[in-house]
Amino acid sequence: MADKMVRFIIERQDGPNEKPYNQEFDVPYRPALNVVASLMEIQKNPVTVDGKRVPPVVWECNCLEKVCGACMMVINGMARQACCALIDELKQPIHLQPARTFPVIRDLLIDRSVMFESLKKIQGWVEVDGSWEVKDAPIQNPYTAETAYEISHCMTCGCCLEACPNVGPQSDFIGPAPTVQAYLFNLHPLGKFDAPKRLNALMEKGGITSCGNSQNCVEVCPKSIKLTTYLAQLNRDVNKQALRNMFDK
Amino acid sequence: MFHTTFYLRRLHSLCGLFCLGAVLFEHIFTNSMAIFGPEALNGSLAMMELIPKPIFLALEIGAIATPLLFHGIYGIYIALQANNNPGRFGYVRNWNFALQRYTAWFLVVFLIWHVGYLRFYTKGVTGTPISYELLQNLFTSSPITTFLYILGMFAAIFHFCNGITTFCMTWGITKGPRSQNVISMISMGLCAAMCCITLVFMGSYFVR
Repeated sequence: MADKMVRFIIERQDGPNEKPYNQEFDVPYRPALNVVASLMEIQKNPVTVDGKRVPPVVWECNCLEKVCGACMMVINGMARQACCALIDELKQPIHLQPARTFPVIRDLLIDRSVMFESLKKIQGWVEVDGSWEVKDAPIQNPYTAETAYEISHCMTCGCCLEACPNVGPQSDFIGPAPTVQAYLFNLHPLGKFDAPKRLNALMEKGGITSCGNSQNCVEVCPKSIKLTTYLAQLNRDVNKQALRNMFDK
Repeated sequence: MFHTTFYLRRLHSLCGLFCLGAVLFEHIFTNSMAIFGPEALNGSLAMMELIPKPIFLALEIGAIATPLLFHGIYGIYIALQANNNPGRFGYVRNWNFALQRYTAWFLVVFLIWHVGYLRFYTKGVTGTPISYELLQNLFTSSPITTFLYILGMFAAIFHFCNGITTFCMTWGITKGPRSQNVISMISMGLCAAMCCITLVFMGSYFVR
């Protein structure tokens, strides 16, 4: 038993419609300990500080290297990935909460399928199948490749949606991440053929017009994607598209 | 596909910056005449009276009342879509976002009182023309009125100046963080200047 313990205050919830409650756990400290590793310790021995044995805390994780986005949760009030949240850099006791902008399934596990639905709305893909002959892949524009690479880092973790004051049950805003994906596919040499379709989708209710420029998204993005820059670019593109819609007919 | 939300939201943006911005500038310009004394303010009020009545009324309805009502009512709808969280995410822009909505709520109440009392009751019902003496009586009548009027002006000025910054983002004029910061600093400078002018002309009623 290590001398030093790390105290966790975890907001738990037994089911989607159950009331949330807090439970406290102590985890033995070790160098380079992170939140996911601590949750694994709790899973091994789910005993609260009061000595009560409880069902293990449910959470989601995958890659453990800030690439998949699965372990996003609210750590000390900040939406971030649990796998790269080092205990040494966190104020204790450490508060863990589910990202409540999404429906909570159980404990820290959330349902982020709304982002997938949003990606469908903005056509977050490139049409490759059609009546045309499939040839070699077209070259990327070398001048925009760096931007496309940056946006392609988006792992739909949902940090930006959790931080955005305009995303939540009170609003139908699809959020920064899916919106900015439209720009990624508009940059693609084949994807750009569908750019007007994506821009028109962004003009729908809950699209880019719901952005209120609080700019929390760019502050919390774990992949440092310049979301506000691309949102402004999309605003520009959407306005031009609106003019085309009005005057091209 | 007719993107109603998109066009309403863009109209809200245009209304706020141009129509209501012009109204705010006019108010500050005319009211600042109080600094130079009753003659100066009454003189510039008389200048406005030179505009023929029907044209003046058409301007009031078309360029002030309609944009104000649209901006206000649609603005309430927008404000209701926000779950302000500057406590959790205390970044400057997020504070401005929240303040934009807090000032909006205050302005809804303040403008009902301000327009209702001065335009509809005083000028409309009793037929009393607005003059330096009337405003001096109103502003110095109680510390609460003075405070509420200064707060109302500050709220309107902040809402307008922060609106310049967000307008530039919404219309894709400022794209990168550097240009957005430059515009933000300029508009906050303008905000400070307009607030100072307000304090000076409100103060001038007390010293004269």
